[in-house]
Amino acid sequence: MLEIYQREFSGSFYSWRGGVWIVAAALIFSMVAYLLLTDKELSLLDQGEMLFTLAEVIIALGVVMSATSASSSISGEIESGTFESLLLTPVTHRQIAMQKLLSVLTVWAILYLVSIPYLVVVASGTHLALSAVLYVGLYGTLLVTGLSLISIAISARLKSSKSSIMTTLMIVLILLAPSLFFATSLKKTDFGLALESINPVSQSFNSLDSVLVDNEQALSLQVDHIWPVVVFVLACLLVFVFFTRQFEVKSAE
Amino acid sequence: MKVSSTNNNSISTSTLSKFYRNFRAVNSLTIDVSPGDIFGFLGPNGAGKTTTIRMLCGLLSPTSGYAKVAGFDIVKDSLKIRSIVGLLPESSGFYNWMSAEEYLLYFAALYKIDTHIGKKRAKDLLEKVGLATKSFVPISYYSRGMKQRLGLARTLINDPKILFLDEPTLGLDPKGQQDIQKTLLELNREKKVTIFLSSHALSEVSSLCNRVAIVNRGRLVAQGSIEDLRALAGGSSGLVVRILNSPSAQQELSSLPYRIQTNTTDNNRLIDVKVSDGVSESANDIIDRFEKAGLQIYEIRRMGMSLEDVYFKLTEAKKKEDQQTHPEAQQKPKSKEEQRPRHA
Repeated sequence: MLEIYQREFSGSFYSWRGGVWIVAAALIFSMVAYLLLTDKELSLLDQGEMLFTLAEVIIALGVVMSATSASSSISGEIESGTFESLLLTPVTHRQIAMQKLLSVLTVWAILYLVSIPYLVVVASGTHLALSAVLYVGLYGTLLVTGLSLISIAISARLKSSKSSIMTTLMIVLILLAPSLFFATSLKKTDFGLALESINPVSQSFNSLDSVLVDNEQALSLQVDHIWPVVVFVLACLLVFVFFTRQFEVKSAE
Repeated sequence: MKVSSTNNNSISTSTLSKFYRNFRAVNSLTIDVSPGDIFGFLGPNGAGKTTTIRMLCGLLSPTSGYAKVAGFDIVKDSLKIRSIVGLLPESSGFYNWMSAEEYLLYFAALYKIDTHIGKKRAKDLLEKVGLATKSFVPISYYSRGMKQRLGLARTLINDPKILFLDEPTLGLDPKGQQDIQKTLLELNREKKVTIFLSSHALSEVSSLCNRVAIVNRGRLVAQGSIEDLRALAGGSSGLVVRILNSPSAQQELSSLPYRIQTNTTDNNRLIDVKVSDGVSESANDIIDRFEKAGLQIYEIRRMGMSLEDVYFKLTEAKKKEDQQTHPEAQQKPKSKEEQRPRHA
């Protein structure tokens, strides 16, 4: 039933590269956590703000890793010539795409599990640890799911890893840019506000800010931030369903 | 997936077409393959062979026309078709980190074959294709020939009723070619597997196939037995009987009931007697008649166009015919309105 998922997963982690991803992520979390707790200027930050910065890093890394991995999941098989044999088996095209999605989500799940100790350590001495773990899990999972869905659809549509990785990274950059790179003054303009209201990453980060910095931890207080993210995931699901209903391998490929 | 045993192993297409914008990859192809046939599918590069195979295996949807494989419609029943056919593509990719055994077990699982049966089948197939001793070596260490053998083993893991092979011996050494041909013949004879073989190796097609279709520019040029095609190409298919010359030889030859042509060779010592088309008797009967006429047979051989000659003659003839009849329609796409519905 889950043969493709198992093969994808073992393929990702069989070689040293798979393991290196997780080790690299752990190193990044360690570095950020260490800087937050020990750096002279950063350690002056409120602990909620430290936690929020770490949460941003975890989600951004999860989104980039899973989107990159998903964007070559189908095109990579087409390019290596293994997709045709896969399509010849009596497994439906939807099942192939779903199992690939599951494999990408597993990568995120591992990354999330690795990040939990860091969240707990940075939150130590406050009552924010549980909220940080839960909200990072919620928004991370929603964003990773949405972007993985759309990345797999792009991979199936473009059939070229280079093009699909570039397109996916462009989308990720567009979504991450307002939160990570826009100045506060720009965010407060009409354009900035409009962009934020429809950007699922901005909504997620704003919600995390509200939970971890402003101490508004109740789920009911975050509904306004959650629904745009859910709408984004549903839109990505529609794109995924449309582009993965039928794969065709043309003769020229 | 269980498939009704009443389905036969035949393939039939009717005006099957596949267009890519302004390119007609396959154009109104109508072919019939009977159960148990080893069917050769010939044509130059870009003739539409791979596209046809992909449509028949349910990997591509036709633009128009329809086809049935083992009684199943290639569009509606593609999942059923995929469970009972095997396809060895021209160039397969492999999961290089896997061993051959893991690879076959993975595909056995995808075909929902019971683990125990899958293991036994994988072992038998690796034995059959000569990879049993390397079954635990990662595929990345395999040569092209070994990969091709592994590809054939994968193609057979679901015990297919119909086997599609796209250039199966391309790039293999003579031993590798011979082994694959032997395996194919065994499958056809012992398991009655219908084989649809696309190949540029005309000698391979000639020695393996009982029926052949020639396609060019997506269109069927001819189909039938090699003898049928030879006749269609206007090639002779008689016998050459080489006899020892004697003073009475010419007179004795004139008493034979055949249309013959003679030619003396080897300093007048031998005569080549061409027994022309239309001879319905077996070679034994012809030899008997020569002996009864008092002629001494030196050697006997079949005379005729090679498959290569037939292939070139028919493809060239079709090209000229197309240019004369449709000079404006060469590779020009039909409008959507002109295209026939898929299931007419």
